[in-house]
Amino acid sequence: MAEKARVLLPLLLLLMLVRVQNGESVWLNLPSSGTKCVSEELHNNVVVVGDYAVVSDDHEHLTPIISSKVTSPYGNVLHHKENVTHGQFAFTSSESGQYLTCFWADHPAEGVGLIVNIDWKIGVAAKDWESIARKEKIEGVELELRKLEGAVEAIHDNLLYLKNREAEMRGVSETTNSRVAWYSIVSLGICILASCAQVWYLTRFFQKKKLI
Amino acid sequence: MKTTMKSYAILGLLLLTTFSGELSALSVTVNDVECVYEYVLYEGDTVSGNFVVVDHDIFWSSDHPGIDFIVSSPGGNVVQTMKGTSGEKFEFKAPRSGMYQFCFHNPYSTPETVSFYIHVGHIPNEHDLAKDEHLDPVNVKIAELREALESVTAEQKYLKARDARHRHTNESTHKRVIFYTIGEYILLAVASGLQVVYIRRLFSKSVAYNRV
Repeated sequence: MAEKARVLLPLLLLLMLVRVQNGESVWLNLPSSGTKCVSEELHNNVVVVGDYAVVSDDHEHLTPIISSKVTSPYGNVLHHKENVTHGQFAFTSSESGQYLTCFWADHPAEGVGLIVNIDWKIGVAAKDWESIARKEKIEGVELELRKLEGAVEAIHDNLLYLKNREAEMRGVSETTNSRVAWYSIVSLGICILASCAQVWYLTRFFQKKKLI
Repeated sequence: MKTTMKSYAILGLLLLTTFSGELSALSVTVNDVECVYEYVLYEGDTVSGNFVVVDHDIFWSSDHPGIDFIVSSPGGNVVQTMKGTSGEKFEFKAPRSGMYQFCFHNPYSTPETVSFYIHVGHIPNEHDLAKDEHLDPVNVKIAELREALESVTAEQKYLKARDARHRHTNESTHKRVIFYTIGEYILLAVASGLQVVYIRRLFSKSVAYNRV
């Protein structure tokens, strides 16, 4: 029992640490007026987990409040929150395209910009490893190797995605290539046609005017 | 004694995993200056990443001067500078821990969208652990493996962003081929029609006969 507590306590501490300080978050400057947006191009069926919080150093003033909105490429609003200092969202992408996350300051009275801490994870990084570890009762080196396996699978999936995109783009390129050749020949044909029509029309015109 | 060591080992391993997590490649619109901040925990960490300017429809010039990229350390010194580029990979060893600033400068007034990815990698070494622990070589190897996989993932994100830029250019070329060719045909027809009309007027009876 005491041994179990000894193992659980550092784990709990660690979980708290994870919530409070994850060193991989990005901090962004929010202007006092106007919106600041970040976007990412995602394909279908990607798990996205996002976490944002306003960073404030001084505890004398109130933490400034912001609003956030996450929109899908077709315009659906996936997450919308007003007047908060922090928030989080999670969704699975159902459409492939650009996902936009916008922040704006509600009361720009301060006149000074704010700093927002954004933690945005997709795919394999968004997986909840703690619950998987608890469910399958794996820990330590085995958990690490599982994570590495997940990363390798993600790399493989990304490679396949890139291959498909490249194939699509090659199709567009080859269409453009053949169209350039075909349209240039048609353009030359139209040029010759127009000049022949001009010459024929003017000959007829001058003959009618009895100048020729 | 053994369980305490084991719990600390698990704690250490889980700490390793949280502080070298994955950040996704975000895109941000750069109007003039756009700065992103990232916290580096340990001195000597390798900070690596890449950024790509996603092409906007630049009308005439095929070579836009590009944007400038400046990395500043928490002390204010400039760690890396890249001028006039449309996409680069970067890597440096952090001279100290703290908040690093990654800034994009856009010399022109047209806003550009930049897709960036920053990763802070840490390999555990003797300095991180407390005095009564031993560095397990398996942990070091796993961390190195993870860093290698992260570099592959970073390369993939760079390729994905470059592919997006290329696709943009391709689709723009495709559209330009169609519109400019059809516009060319119409202009040709209109020009030859105008020529005929002008010559007709030159020979019309209202103007002096045979004045030409």
